[in-house]
Formats: sequence, C-alpha cells, structure tokens
Amino acid sequence: MIALYRTGTGPLHRLAAGPKLLLFAVIALTLSLLAPTLWMLGAALALVVAVYAVAGLGARELGRQLWTSRWLIVIMLVPQLIVLPPVVAVANTGRVVAIILLAAAVTLTTRVPAVIEATERGLGWTRRFGGNPALVGLVLALTITTIPVIAGFATVIREAQAARGARMRLTTFVVPLLVMSLRHADDLGDALAARGVE
Amino acid sequence: MTGISAREVGVEFDGRVALRGVSVELTERRIAVIGSNGSGKSTFARLLNGLVAPTTGSLTVHGLDPAHQARELRRRVGFIFSNPDAQIIMPTVAEDVAYSLRGRGLARDEVRDRVTAILERFGLAAHADAPAHALSSGQKQLLALSAVLITEPALLVADEPTALLDARNTRRIAAALLDELPQQLVLVTHDLRLAARCDVALWFDDGRLIAQGSPAELLARYEREHA
Repeated sequence: MIALYRTGTGPLHRLAAGPKLLLFAVIALTLSLLAPTLWMLGAALALVVAVYAVAGLGARELGRQLWTSRWLIVIMLVPQLIVLPPVVAVANTGRVVAIILLAAAVTLTTRVPAVIEATERGLGWTRRFGGNPALVGLVLALTITTIPVIAGFATVIREAQAARGARMRLTTFVVPLLVMSLRHADDLGDALAARGVE
Repeated sequence: MTGISAREVGVEFDGRVALRGVSVELTERRIAVIGSNGSGKSTFARLLNGLVAPTTGSLTVHGLDPAHQARELRRRVGFIFSNPDAQIIMPTVAEDVAYSLRGRGLARDEVRDRVTAILERFGLAAHADAPAHALSSGQKQLLALSAVLITEPALLVADEPTALLDARNTRRIAAALLDELPQQLVLVTHDLRLAARCDVALWFDDGRLIAQGSPAELLARYEREHA
C-alpha cells in the first residue's frame, strides 16, 4: 500500500513535495467529511483514475495498488455490511480505498528525501513546543523502508512452516513474525545509533 | 590523538558481566578481534562507537571519551554490523548513502557528487535508484560500507561483516576493508583468514582480553586450542 518511488516526468512528479502533500491532505480531509453516498464514491474513484492517468502511472499500477489493498477492503467492508445499509458501507469503504490509492500515488511520484524535507519544513513550527520534525521525517522513511523487510519475514516464516509440513495458523504465524520484527527493530535501533541518529 | 586506549574497562548488563578488566593500547591500522560466541568481542567493538558505555575503567577512542562524547564519537567512528538488512534506513541505495550526510551542512550538489563517487567505488552506481532491500546480501553489505565511509570516519569498526556472505562477497568486503581503507579498522571476525591479514590480533574469552599479538602467532595458538 505504501509504494516506492517510480521515475517519471508527469505533472505529479514535477509538483514539489510540500504542495503535493498539502493537496493530498485537503483531498483526504474533504473525502472524509462528505456524506457517504454513491455520488461521493463515484467522484472519489473518478478522481483516483484521473490522478493515475495524469501522473502517467497507468491502469496497471492502479490495479496493482488495488490488489495490494484487497484484504483491507474485506476487513473494512464485511463488518460495515452487517451493521450499516449497503450503500453507506460501500461508500465508507470506497472513500478509504480512494484515500489509500491517492496516498500511493503521492509516494509513487515523490522521492522519500523530498517527503522528509517537506515534512520537516511543514512541521518546523513545532520545534517551539518541543517537537522534533526530523524525527517525524525519519519515522516516515523507516515506515516505507521497513515494509519490504517485514514482508520478507512473512515469506520466510511461511516457507519454513511449509518445509516442515506445518499447517498455517494465526498463532504460529504471528508470534514468529512479531519476534523477528522486534529483533529487527532492535538491530535497526543500534544501526541508527551507530550512524549518529539520536 | 589517534588510537584506542583502554584501562581496566568493564561492562555489565543487568548484573551480567560482559567485559572485565580490559586494558589495551592500539595504534595499529588493522586490528583483528577474535574469540568464541559470547566472549565479549562484540561488546568491545560496541564500546568503540559509544553504543555501549563502560561500567568501570576508562576508555579513549581517537582522543574522545565514549562515556561523555558519544555524539562526537559516532561522527568519527563508523560501524558495520553483520546483518546488512538492519542497516538500511532509506528506501533506495543512493538515498540511504545520502542520509549519512544529513545535518552536515553540505550543498545538494556536493552530496550528490559524493554519493555517486562512493557508489562507483563499491560497484553500486548502476543500482543507485534501486530499492535497497532488493540488493543481494553482498551488495547490501557494500551499501552499508558506503553509507559509513561517505562520512570519512577516522576509525571503522566492523562486527562480523562477512558472517552472512558467500565466498565471493566475503572476498569483496575483505578487500574493501583490509586493502583499500586508509582508516584504522577494528575487525571482529570468526574468519581466521581475514584476521590473519590484520596487523595485530586481540583474543577475547569469557569477557577478558586473554592475549594480544601478531596474528600469525596468536591465530596458530587459537586454532590449536579450538581444534
């Protein structure tokens, strides 16, 4: 869902990270506040398609991002269908998916250092109140960087269990994944300290 | 002031003694640190970068006291870990190397030029925009080395840098560390062939520095005792 930068020359690639993030924040906020109707959902999805087309990312990338979000869609949609009218459930889920796809379009067209710099500039005012914008930027970078690592751990666990003929169960998957992730976090903390990150 | 000076240095973690009474003066360029697992060699390495503070004794690394000048020390002492995956901070190769230069007041062009130069030096220039985690283990370790050496540290500490690598990548990393570096190097390793190429060897056992001397002599004794 959080995608890596793809080289390109489209208008979204050329737009500076600061305005792009601000624009994304405004759109995400607007979509969150609108009433859950099929009109809103149609407009949101039309916006997503337009953004991917204008940015030159293409239908294939859009489909890839949508496929990556499939389990999140199921997790959000099913409980809502039980307690809410179908139109509201679909519109609520659809707007979250639209925001995720737009966020992916931002990360696909913006280099991480540019996101960090924009974040640090945008949050510079928080220094007066003891905030640490550099730390926020670092957390953003690490979030994006660590996703493939955790995905790699999941693959290793699945393969190890398959090699031993073990059936996949939530506990036998989650516990080793947590242990490996925590160990990685520990090692990463040491590496950050060694590189002078306070 | 160059070199490493330790006097009766000890380290304790949660009441467990990891290192005791280590006294040593090191001015040689390539220093090998050998010993069994849990012997204290990694703790000694971590002391040199300020990752671990001495519980007792005094330590000076290139004129700096790790206990009180840890931040300055980390700018002057680079550290390479055995697991290259845990050393990647930024998503792409070039971004990860460039991250090491943040906060140093360098112009964007200079950062780019330095990154390009070091990636070319370690054969990673073609992967500059590639996801760092997509590299092979050997390339990741070269990336970690690039990210450290771009800051031009006075001392490089490498804690089992070839532990997870195949023979070819081990040779590449060994050449980079032992033949191409002008800096002082502390190499913690189980690979006695690498230790043999150093100028001096330290042998740790049960948290103590039990021997120090020429690698040829020390490694022969070590091999006899671990045969």
